[in-house]
Amino acid sequence: MLNILREATIGSFSSIKQIATIVFPLMIAMEILKDIGILDKIARLFSPLVKVYGMKRETGFPLLIGIVFGLTYGAGVILQSAKEDKLTRRDLYLLTYFLVAAHAVFEDTAIFMAFGVNGILLLITRLLVASLFTFIASRLIKPDAALINSSSEVVSNEA
Amino acid sequence: MQSVNKKLSLDTLKRGIMSGLHITWELSKILVPIYFIVTFLKHTPIIDRVAIISAPLMGVFGLPGEAAIALVLGNIVNLYAAIGAIASLTLTVKEVTILAVMLCFCHSLLVETVLAKKIGLSAVKVIAVRMALAIVSGIAFNLFL
Repeated sequence: MLNILREATIGSFSSIKQIATIVFPLMIAMEILKDIGILDKIARLFSPLVKVYGMKRETGFPLLIGIVFGLTYGAGVILQSAKEDKLTRRDLYLLTYFLVAAHAVFEDTAIFMAFGVNGILLLITRLLVASLFTFIASRLIKPDAALINSSSEVVSNEA
Repeated sequence: MQSVNKKLSLDTLKRGIMSGLHITWELSKILVPIYFIVTFLKHTPIIDRVAIISAPLMGVFGLPGEAAIALVLGNIVNLYAAIGAIASLTLTVKEVTILAVMLCFCHSLLVETVLAKKIGLSAVKVIAVRMALAIVSGIAFNLFL
């Protein structure tokens, strides 16, 4: 019994130490990126991508925020942007589909990297699959001119 | 959105350290108890029972039966719980990589589906899509890694 407790104590603490050595530098790097205002610039680079999906250009910013900071934080930005930028129902659906497949990508990747996983492979797979999946969804969900005015009210689930 | 160029300062570093601390703390709160429970189970016959029952399904992804514990915890609780299980089990790097890609696409189903519903997506569709992505990517990683 004492052996088991020893094994669990040493093992769990060394796992936490391993994870912390990756998470701390990453979080500091993300705060630096935020403060030098680079996120807005990167969001602009997303414009061609969201155009391929037939989404509004303004969707780039909430998309980037969700990819980097996750769904919990991203949901607030998405709902705010839906109001301010008058995103359509379709924009919202596609944006969320992308994000359920790929969100908080850096944090998740960092934690798995502590266990020897190839981070680049994991990151690229996630973003590529999410892009592809959203592309397919964008062909299936028709442009919804009729739905533009309904972004604030709940519409029954279509298609 | 106007880009207000805040300057880099000591505050930047402070916020980075704080959010690193926050993540490490939130992770530890879940990882440590899970690690203890799984390590304890490893010394009982229960883990072998779980492994044998899950082996046929996990074999599809090239994973040992006990890896099911990580997938179940990751989807019902969250990624941190899955990490706790992964850390305490003895797995190869390839096995952890397969688990990582599956869990990245599909985790915390209870909490995150509520969020997706808030935005207006159907819960059933979101869960179906995420599970499909996890299954396909798991099989693909097993074949190509």
